[in-house]
Amino acid sequence: MSCAEFQQVLPEMLEGDRNTEHAAHLASCSACSDLISDLKAISEAARQLRASDEPSPRLWNSLEIALRQEGLIRQPQREPALVSSRARWPWGWMVPAVAALLVGFGIMKYERGSNQPSETARNEAPVAAAPTVAVVPASTSPAPRISRDDDLQLLEAVGTRSPEIRAQYAADLNHVNSYIEDAEQSAQSDPNDEDAQQSLLNAYDQRAMLYQMALDRSLP
Amino acid sequence: MQRVNRGAKLVSAVVLSGAVLLAAETRKEFHFTVGARPTVSVTNQYGSVSVKPSAANLVSVTAILRSDKVEIDKGQSGNRIDVLSHLLDGANAENGRVDYELVVPGDASVILTSTSGPLRAEGLHGDVTLEGANSNVDVREIKDAHVHVKTLNGPITLTNIHDGHVEITSVSGNVTLVSVSGPHVQVNSNSGWIHYDGDFGYGGEYYLSSHTGDIDATAPQDASFDVTARSVRGKVENDFPLQPKHTPFVVKAGSAFAGTMNRAASSVKLFSFSGKIHLKKR
Repeated sequence: MSCAEFQQVLPEMLEGDRNTEHAAHLASCSACSDLISDLKAISEAARQLRASDEPSPRLWNSLEIALRQEGLIRQPQREPALVSSRARWPWGWMVPAVAALLVGFGIMKYERGSNQPSETARNEAPVAAAPTVAVVPASTSPAPRISRDDDLQLLEAVGTRSPEIRAQYAADLNHVNSYIEDAEQSAQSDPNDEDAQQSLLNAYDQRAMLYQMALDRSLP
Repeated sequence: MQRVNRGAKLVSAVVLSGAVLLAAETRKEFHFTVGARPTVSVTNQYGSVSVKPSAANLVSVTAILRSDKVEIDKGQSGNRIDVLSHLLDGANAENGRVDYELVVPGDASVILTSTSGPLRAEGLHGDVTLEGANSNVDVREIKDAHVHVKTLNGPITLTNIHDGHVEITSVSGNVTLVSVSGPHVQVNSNSGWIHYDGDFGYGGEYYLSSHTGDIDATAPQDASFDVTARSVRGKVENDFPLQPKHTPFVVKAGSAFAGTMNRAASSVKLFSFSGKIHLKKR
């Protein structure tokens, strides 16, 4: 049984309809067994999403990581079109729904948060009141800007696939987080500093790239 | 006599293991007929990918597989070719290695992805997107195209890129740009240094930034640009006799400078947090 054939019967597989041929393929193909694990993780996360009106940032992050692991939110040109996406993953229709839910919750949290004075705004009212281009991610953003939990999850994911490059990713994460901290400090000390704001975007670009590469299924 | 025997055994063992390795290697070739401006994508975990141009409407892929622990998935969907190294159980960086050489139409857009193998593209006038964690990236002789490169640690070299829309992001890879010009040239580095050696073209925007990496930019005396350079905690140096200009920030001697050179045709911005910035005259 080939990977393409296996992926065509994924829905039945996930519902427990598994025969010896499926089991044999799963045992011999790490890519497909990883795919099954990822789908189960996403399914579990979706159940949690339904059960709660306001998911925590942690859940948002775990969903994001799960989607990245699945390769569903990486850049489209990276997706090899060897077989049609429907054939490769017949549950593709769920992705926009989950993404819309995530965006909706993000906006809700952002709006709610932005109505309340943040710690930074309370402490630095004159600076916060100054007119500025809102490029700097607000401190009330739903997801934490530098989350050690996120990083640990990422390193754990990398470590399970390739322990030898875990240290390298850890060093890169330190570089990127240090860049974010510097850019944030600079942008907060002078909200009109366009260089600092651009640097903050650059630093976040690097972080996004690092996460994308670390969790790309096609890479070890 | 005993030493001679031991030497002979050693040589035999080396020859034998080499022969076994060679025997395990497989060479495969694939050919795809394509139309104008095809898209060619190669995803390879271990091993090199090299792309060269040809005049024919043909994509030729030559792959050297190091062992049977890796196989190649390939496909054509209209004008799009996808090639993917598919690692099997037990594959590692050595036996999962595949080295690719591609010949593609000059107007092809190529997307190359690797973890550690070198990536090279040359002589194209279609868009080039290269991504690799530790890959050594070499792009040259590209004209009138987008060139997008991302690495975590791999060094990046771009040579003779003209009329390009260039975007480079690297965490700790060093970036070297030689004769690179275009309407948009942007480098976003963290700890890797950035070397630019060119003339800043005519009418383009150049933005080179780093966190801790040094930035060197070298241009000829007759280059025409408007420059702002600033390092928050590092030092800046300038060899050009710039005409003063207004800046949105306070110019502190030694940590920032700004000015215009000749007719200020291009805009150049150099920014670092703690890297040293040097604008050099060739």
